[in-house]
Amino acid sequence: MTSYIPLKILSKKEKEELATQLEKQFGIKNAEGIFLMRGQERIFLFQGSLTEKQIKELETAVPVERVGVYFGKNINGQIRLSIEGTQMLKNQITKNIFELDDKQIELWMKGQEILIETGKNDFLVMKYKDNFLGCGKASEKKITNFIPKNRRLREKNN
Amino acid sequence: MKAKSNLQIKPLFLERMQKLLPDKKDFQAYLDVLKIPPVRSIRCNKLKISPSELRKKLEKKGWKIKQPWGDYLEIMSVENELEPGGLGRALEHQLGYYYVQELVSMLPVIALDPEPEETVLDLCASPGSKTTQLSSEMLGKGTIIANEVSMGRLKILASNLERCGATNVIITKKDGVALCCRIKKYLPELKFSKILVDAPCSGEGTLRSSPKTYKMWNIKTIQNLPKIQKNLILSALEILKPNGVLIYSTCTHAPEENEGVSDAVLQELGNRIRLERIKLPIKSREGIIRWGDKSYSKEVKKCARIYPHDDNTEGFFIARFRKIK
Repeated sequence: MTSYIPLKILSKKEKEELATQLEKQFGIKNAEGIFLMRGQERIFLFQGSLTEKQIKELETAVPVERVGVYFGKNINGQIRLSIEGTQMLKNQITKNIFELDDKQIELWMKGQEILIETGKNDFLVMKYKDNFLGCGKASEKKITNFIPKNRRLREKNN
Repeated sequence: MKAKSNLQIKPLFLERMQKLLPDKKDFQAYLDVLKIPPVRSIRCNKLKISPSELRKKLEKKGWKIKQPWGDYLEIMSVENELEPGGLGRALEHQLGYYYVQELVSMLPVIALDPEPEETVLDLCASPGSKTTQLSSEMLGKGTIIANEVSMGRLKILASNLERCGATNVIITKKDGVALCCRIKKYLPELKFSKILVDAPCSGEGTLRSSPKTYKMWNIKTIQNLPKIQKNLILSALEILKPNGVLIYSTCTHAPEENEGVSDAVLQELGNRIRLERIKLPIKSREGIIRWGDKSYSKEVKKCARIYPHDDNTEGFFIARFRKIK
């Protein structure tokens, strides 16, 4: 049985640090809502009407499993946005975008890496036409894939 | 009678359905429709894409799309044949642009009619089809508390909510009755304007899509569930705002779980609540007031019974309660 890990609502300072990083990495200027963490890396975004205080009160009364949607991961100070993270902020993302072509999208959505030299060593927002697909990590000769297994396109009869 | 997959309908179930549908032609139409697979239906997730954009994308793939319910443009059926599992395997599905959902399963949220900015409780939320529909209808505003007691089902709920980008949802894990009691006791200021109790049920309405129901059907389940269902409604009503609305729904035809439960709630709460008529985009029949040796309040006629052969769907039951005080 796993023990209950309490929710951590990001403080004003932590939220400011996140905002600075989002702008630096992706040009995002305004990510609104309550940001929370459970564990060391995973960041969640809640955009409902309950206040931080009300969420805390709720947690004292009943076991809260999830608040909002998985937004991204903080990996040593760098933010890796989830599929939903990129979709929610798609109108604000101006930097570090990699556009996939018709062949690459097949590979990407099947969970495979893209063998390409981008000249970057950063998290890139992956995009296909008007679809935002989360982030990949560019390194010397490839972009590493982070599409979760349950979101990958499966081969027929698999 | 042999149904699809050579599964046999149990004689007592047939006998009960015949009592519910005494007209021979009507009953035969019911039996006939069970042999046909249900319509392939999807619901556009308006949190991520508009119905017109989604339709365009899907038609580009060669899918034939219909929007069968007039003003409800988010509700679509896919008319052409697809590979098995084709709906769930598409890129648009994996990106959360649509949710695969049976047509009648969309009705409770239509009956609840949630508004953005409201505080809504979905008491038995997994797998999340109705929670994601609520979030979509509320345009990601307000707050939805989605509760589920089973850890296995909770994971499916969380995964579906994530895929749909439902940022206004909080998931809680508690037995439904206990959750309501704790909210009432420890958070007396937290009251809901709308509550959905899509209760565990015997599932008689799902025979077309879920052949395992043929095997699992058991009269004892029907005798045991009403107590649980009634308790869920009664506890939920305690944390509903005055003038708030509670939808009770099941995917079964069994009167004990439907009108029987609704009647028991009315008897227990008297003039604190009332049942209201429900406007739905498909044909429904009024609730029954007699079943075996039981007779129910005439008020339960306001409930909606949906039979699969009336509009080529699955079967369902919906009751709409309004709290007066």
